[in-house]
Amino acid sequence: MQDVLDAVVEPRRREILRLVRDRELPAGEIAARFPDVSRPTVSEHLRVLREAGLVTERRQGTRRLYRARSEGLMSLREFLDGFWDARLEDLRVQAQREEKRRHG
Amino acid sequence: MAEPIVKETFIDASPETVFAFFTEPDLITRWLAEEATLDPRPGGACHQLHRGEDGKQYRMRGEFVEVQPPSRVVFTWGFEESTIGVFPGTSTVEVTLRPEGDGTRLQLVHRDLPDGAVGDHTAGWEEMLRRLAEACARVSA
Repeated sequence: MQDVLDAVVEPRRREILRLVRDRELPAGEIAARFPDVSRPTVSEHLRVLREAGLVTERRQGTRRLYRARSEGLMSLREFLDGFWDARLEDLRVQAQREEKRRHG
Repeated sequence: MAEPIVKETFIDASPETVFAFFTEPDLITRWLAEEATLDPRPGGACHQLHRGEDGKQYRMRGEFVEVQPPSRVVFTWGFEESTIGVFPGTSTVEVTLRPEGDGTRLQLVHRDLPDGAVGDHTAGWEEMLRRLAEACARVSA
């Protein structure tokens, strides 16, 4: 999850995700949307997004094509898994405390 | 549909004590919700207010399905806020309590969850990105 947070803290990376959310785009076209950013910097953004699991990269000859992975954001199940772990730990502490209070 | 979540834990308290933490507002607010309205019988209201990590309140709207003190309680689970992607009445939480020694063996099964990413519904994508960005800002602040 930290990878994902680090990846999306940068506004340009969030913008790249929006661009490739519904369709695949080659790196060149993505870079063209950021005329004020150097090509190597755009490649670096794409690398960070790929390593965070937020985009897939597909090679076509010399071209690299990118598309967002919606499963890259935490799945609902993963979120709830962590949620119940934390809540049940709190329940354990509180119930044990209450038991002591009631029965000494 | 996503696989059910299954959790199991031992609590050093009697099943009666643990059971009350699911059916009494004064107790449920110590571990699960900020506020709660509970009518613990089949069809009765199970409404809870949760505070998300983004600092916002989320309204859990459920209904009790089974209430068998002190061994079993089942309620539906879903949020009014569409960005979470689990709508009221669409998923179910089943809690079973068994005596074990002086304590309780608790099992929780959360079933009928939809597939998909958190916030994958309606405005979910933008909302998720925005919330992640806010989380980053807080983490780095």
